[in-house]
Amino acid sequence: MDQIARYFFDFSLMSAYWPDILRGFLITIEMSILTVLIGVPLGLAIAILRLYGFGPLNALIILYIDFFRSIPQLVLIVLTYFALPSFGLVLSPFTATVVALAIVLSAFSEEIFWAGINAVSKGQWEAGRSTGLGFNQTLAYIILPQVVRISIPPLTNRAIGISKGTTLGSVVAVPELLNVTSSIQSNVANPTALTAGALLFLALFLPFVRFTRWLERAYAHPRS
Amino acid sequence: MPASADAIVAIDDLRKCFGNVEVLRGINLKVGKGEAVAIVGSSGSGKSTCLRCINRLEEPTTGTIRVGGQEVTGAKVDLNLLRQRIGMVFQGINLYPHMTAVGNVTLALRKVAGLGKAQAEQKARHHLDLVGLAHKADSYPAQLSGGQQQRVGIARAMALEPQVMLFDEPTSALDPELVSEVLNVMVRTKEMGMTMIVVTHEMHFARDVADRVVFIDHGAVLAEGTPEEILVSPQHQRIRDFVTRSRA
Ligand SMILES: Nc1ncnc2c1ncn2[C@@H]1O[C@H](COP(=O)(O)OP(=O)(O)OP(=O)(O)O)[C@@H](O)[C@H]1O
Ligand SMILES: [Mg+2]
Repeated sequence: MDQIARYFFDFSLMSAYWPDILRGFLITIEMSILTVLIGVPLGLAIAILRLYGFGPLNALIILYIDFFRSIPQLVLIVLTYFALPSFGLVLSPFTATVVALAIVLSAFSEEIFWAGINAVSKGQWEAGRSTGLGFNQTLAYIILPQVVRISIPPLTNRAIGISKGTTLGSVVAVPELLNVTSSIQSNVANPTALTAGALLFLALFLPFVRFTRWLERAYAHPRS
Repeated sequence: MPASADAIVAIDDLRKCFGNVEVLRGINLKVGKGEAVAIVGSSGSGKSTCLRCINRLEEPTTGTIRVGGQEVTGAKVDLNLLRQRIGMVFQGINLYPHMTAVGNVTLALRKVAGLGKAQAEQKARHHLDLVGLAHKADSYPAQLSGGQQQRVGIARAMALEPQVMLFDEPTSALDPELVSEVLNVMVRTKEMGMTMIVVTHEMHFARDVADRVVFIDHGAVLAEGTPEEILVSPQHQRIRDFVTRSRA
């Protein structure tokens, strides 16, 4: 028991490395937020573009979605970081990770939004259009609010899942939380730092999960 | 039948194909100002399609339709302006579930008719009052009965002060005990002088409220006349069969 405490909860170690751990944590938060802020709106934009139904463009969109949903995130991060420079695009490890994850999230969110758009009945379009609202107005005021509501639960799961992928940034040496804590672990041969990391991940994602539950409730239709 | 000059709605040789199936095979129909016309006929005869061509939810294949003297068909028509003048009430009701009753009515008043917030709100509440739902103005559709929802649907269309109201089986989706409250609102709508085209299976409504009944069969008008002529002493065997079936 005592051994476990010393091994996983060595407070002197934790306080010694605290600044590094905290910096890693902040980078993880930053990357997670950026990934969601870029990936989800991009997914929505692509879904809307797909709705306009320009034939060749739609084929391209579907290719994009299927490709980025299939490719492992780790591979994509590595490719973004190591392959793009040969096309003249040099990204920092941080940016490369966020770009890769945001693109993956956009592909998954597009599918979620697209399913949501199709779940709204044709009658909603007809009701809007029959009062003289244009296509864009009907989309903006009638369809999308319903789509967003339908999409929040699956979107939440995806966003959290992919944000956890920020830990993959360690392969291209982003000093994010997992990277920092696991290198401390190997330096001092004690996994306390990883424990701290795990707790911080919980501290990050638990409120996020709770927040999205609140969102779900806030967007739900009132029941009779 | 009114002369074509003062007809609010004038349909001339309307044809509609889905693929190579001709669903409407030359419909002619004129509806005068303030007139209530009931369209009846068996399932699949083309009643909804005909109605939906009038505000171009369906695109007519050939033929012309005029509403208020202005041609509906044709490439240069401002569809949104046109639809503002043609109210429609759906079998599926189709209220916006994320908006209150008053929100459902104000949306087009604000975004299409261009009224300010206060003005739109006032007008919406007035029209909800006309359908007897002033006290439900701030309820969401899910909090309303089917009959109340459909009355909101009518208010939503009426608030735009259309030249004609199209009803596509407005009571078919409702529980039987909720039908009459909607029909009563429709009677009042007619009494206010609104021009109405009503696709209906409610023979009472067709007989007691409509000025004229049009019987559509296989995409063409088989007969039209007063409710008495069409529904009480029909000349065609097909209509006699239909009326007998409807009574059962
Ligand atoms: N979008 C469509 N594509 C193909 N066929 C259609 C479409 N809409 C309607 N039809 C066909 O056109 C015919 C007429 O349909 P319509 O809905 O106008 O009939 P209706 O008289 O309103 O019938 P009901 O009383 O059942 O509502 C039917 O055979 C129907 O299957
Ligand atoms: Mg129909």
